[in-house]
Amino acid sequence: MSTLMIARRPALAALLAAPALVRPAAAQSGPIRIGVPTAMTGTWAALGAQVVRTCRLWAKTVNADGGLLGRPVEFLFEDTQGVPANCLRKAQEMVERDRVNILLGLMASSEALAVMPKLAEWNALFISSVNGAGSITAEHWVPNAFRSNISGPMGARALALWLRNAPQESFFSLSLDYAWGRSSVETFEGLLRGIGKRSIGSVFAPVGTRDYSSFITRVRQANPQALYIALTGDDGTAFLRQAAQFRLFERMPVVTETVDMLFTRPAGDAAIGLVGGSRYSFAFDHPANNDFVQRFRAEHNELPDTYDGEQWQACQVLAEAVRKAGRTETEAVVAALRDLEMTSVKGPLKMRACDGQAEQQGFVVRVARREGIPHPAPEVIATYSAAEVTPSCRASSFS
Amino acid sequence: MNLSDPRLVLAFIAAAGALGLVLPAHATTLLTEALILCLFALSLDLLVGHARLTSFGHAGPWGFGAYVAAGMLLAWQVPLPVAVLAAGALTALLAIPVGWLCVRTGGVAFAMLSLAFAQLGYAVVFKWNAVTGGSDGLPGVPRAGLGEFLAGREGYHLLVVAFLGAAYLLAWGFVRSPLGRVVAAVRENEQRAEALGHDPRRIRLVVFVLSYFLAGVAGALYAGFARYVSPELFFWTVSGHVLVMVVLGGAGTLVGPMLGALALFYMEHQLSALTESWGLALGLLFILVVIFAPRGLMGWLQAWRPRRRDA
Amino acid sequence: MDPLALLTLQALNALSLSALLFFISLGLTLIFGIMRVVNFAHGALFMLGAYVGVTAHNASGSFLLSLVAAPLAAGLLGLAFERTALSRLYAREHSAFLLVTFGLALALTEAIRLLWGADARQAELPDALSGIVFVMDEPFPVYRLLLIGAGVLCGLGCWAGLQRTRLGLLLRAASQNPVMTAALGNDVGRVRAFVFALACALAALGGALAAPLLSASLGLGSNVIIDAFVIVMIGGMGSFLGTAAGSLLVGFAQTFGNYYLPELALGMTYVVMIAVLVLRPGGLFGRPE
Repeated sequence: MSTLMIARRPALAALLAAPALVRPAAAQSGPIRIGVPTAMTGTWAALGAQVVRTCRLWAKTVNADGGLLGRPVEFLFEDTQGVPANCLRKAQEMVERDRVNILLGLMASSEALAVMPKLAEWNALFISSVNGAGSITAEHWVPNAFRSNISGPMGARALALWLRNAPQESFFSLSLDYAWGRSSVETFEGLLRGIGKRSIGSVFAPVGTRDYSSFITRVRQANPQALYIALTGDDGTAFLRQAAQFRLFERMPVVTETVDMLFTRPAGDAAIGLVGGSRYSFAFDHPANNDFVQRFRAEHNELPDTYDGEQWQACQVLAEAVRKAGRTETEAVVAALRDLEMTSVKGPLKMRACDGQAEQQGFVVRVARREGIPHPAPEVIATYSAAEVTPSCRASSFS
Repeated sequence: MNLSDPRLVLAFIAAAGALGLVLPAHATTLLTEALILCLFALSLDLLVGHARLTSFGHAGPWGFGAYVAAGMLLAWQVPLPVAVLAAGALTALLAIPVGWLCVRTGGVAFAMLSLAFAQLGYAVVFKWNAVTGGSDGLPGVPRAGLGEFLAGREGYHLLVVAFLGAAYLLAWGFVRSPLGRVVAAVRENEQRAEALGHDPRRIRLVVFVLSYFLAGVAGALYAGFARYVSPELFFWTVSGHVLVMVVLGGAGTLVGPMLGALALFYMEHQLSALTESWGLALGLLFILVVIFAPRGLMGWLQAWRPRRRDA
Repeated sequence: MDPLALLTLQALNALSLSALLFFISLGLTLIFGIMRVVNFAHGALFMLGAYVGVTAHNASGSFLLSLVAAPLAAGLLGLAFERTALSRLYAREHSAFLLVTFGLALALTEAIRLLWGADARQAELPDALSGIVFVMDEPFPVYRLLLIGAGVLCGLGCWAGLQRTRLGLLLRAASQNPVMTAALGNDVGRVRAFVFALACALAALGGALAAPLLSASLGLGSNVIIDAFVIVMIGGMGSFLGTAAGSLLVGFAQTFGNYYLPELALGMTYVVMIAVLVLRPGGLFGRPE
């Protein structure tokens, strides 16, 4: 039986490989296809919309310049609703049916973690633009996965560096009770100790919490000098609005890991004064960024938000690697991505080889009313070097 | 031709197995997942169709089976078929106390009680970071002990087909058995069945446990298929989905729910590839199906066949 | 903050949450009482209320108007849906209802995304409502007091409507014995249509009232419905009093649970629900089916 299997296998392999042998020649001339299985409906739809519109804008820009390696770029979008099972299925289909070998724009960290173990089997690569979980470049890292965005721990780190010089000494943390929130608070508390400040407690709100009044009361009772929140999306909006209604901000400043217009804008004036790390902001003054912001406004008549910028950077990283490799096969692009150095919308960056994380500058922003913008928006108040904000290899904390 | 003829159903399942060997890779992968969902829907039909206990918490046994299998595969590299059966057995064991509490009630109370248990499972896996990985789930579940062929795409497909065939035979045999007939008797007239000396609660519990066993097996097969488990498996939308599969296909027919699973899975997949607004199309379709095909796809197929023969 | 102030503040927090929960679950229980079915689209209607409310508020500048527009829009939608789809299904098993309302929830959610886009929408409260009052030297939002008042008012209104009017009598009769009610020459079909529309309107009113706290976003519907299920089951399906009690119970349990036992809060509601259903399958105030 086993001999039969062995005897059959090479023949079968040859049969299956036959189209593959022909493919490179064909593939090298057709369009470069990039798969984007992302959340277009469901709770994450607003984030997914940013990913999709920026991919489209990028493809339009690149193709107007004659494409990549002389080939047009083509995106395949599929809706995952932010559910890992759907993401896995859509990604697999893109790889197996549409012959895609590059995946971008995965939404939830759980979706990325579902897809990553499959990359080797699929012979595909993935560049994260959204996923913040520290473990993606630590214990769950795989060789074909890269992260061009700022991770959760990096955002917390930038904020902690800024807080060194802040007058507040005691902090209280509030976060949603799931993996990202917990690791964000843990990282932040560790960083506080590092800068000689105190955490006087933390509370984790159950997922699905819509009424934060009980937690706001808890914070007032603890009476810290500042409050750290790890809340985003609808949760962040709900908390900011309700905290403002309780006049919490008159008592203490609020800081957060990641400031994102997606949740600060619906919070309205309640978000004014919020300080936090930032993964990307239109307000970062750099020629490449100013060029992108202008291009984006011309297309959409609004300001690019966090994941517009992060997605643009991920596309640029991919383009640079493909140019360097001169081809689009997985091994070649992966090799080119290792230790790739370039300049993007956020300034200089390096895709370090050891865990795929992009070393890049860290930012701290403050939400304020700004001239010419109808809603409160972030302004950059501090910038830190890559060496200061990037954790060591395959680590998600700073020691 | 009777669509519920078990030989015909088994022939279809076998054909699905063969199909997996000739289809392109991506289509085989899709079919494998669809067949796992068939098994899941089949398990729910025992409760909904045969005992008329509308469970709205079937994500519970599905998620539980998936996590148990994933845990065994990750921690001890137990051979996958063993892990799947053990996961089913443990799910059945869990079903005894859970079922004992649930089957006291019926109707909407039963639906909500089963929902509460599934949501409780969701809360536990979500919170218990150290063991379940919390919201990040458990990635990289190995297909341990299967050998190179069975661990591959086509091999795993055949494995799923074998489990589905066995599960169908088990469910069919149960429905036809004396015990299965008592279940039907309890469903149709509880007082009379009680007068004949049957304990309705115990009878319902038996169906409950069997249904949970099969759902646990389905969940475990899914864990090996996706190589990943996450708390979403327990979420109430999953329960809603599989219930829709059963009702769409035609509850109480065993075959119908499997057809419903195939139909819903492929419709959703194709529609969502076609348009972002697939939810709108699918929602309207449900409404139309319910209004115009009262007994689900099965009822529609059976009504349609003879008429065509007459023509 | 001294212990008494803390307790008072948390009690007010709990009452305002209970009021919101009451709006959401009241409609669900009405539908169940009259038609013996579960409405899956209830969360989506709540979400629709939030979106219509925010839009009407921004367009007209009047928050009050948004509290009229949202229930009106959802009520009309409910009426149309009942007449075209639900009314054909009363003779069928309740699984048919389940599927149809599941379909409505799916379609409605997507329709909202198409109409309003993926980004969250918000409106700012008028100054008169965004102020604070001091409760034992602690600031408390005026708007939350208003919510409590609205909840009490709605509760009393519905109770009086059920007990004191001819329509209320008809509703109670149709809930207890639809066949007899019809035999006495009443149009049960119209009663059902009215109830479904009213329930949709109540859910949307809840959404419009919740919008200033939450903003209108696509995730609103799926979270809210489970809470509403829990309340209606705990209180007893179809029981008006039970729904009020259930809302208070869940409102207080969540507010105080979040303060004292946040670690267990996620699972706590379900444990309470299991306990109630096991001990009293009909709920606290309901009768077993």
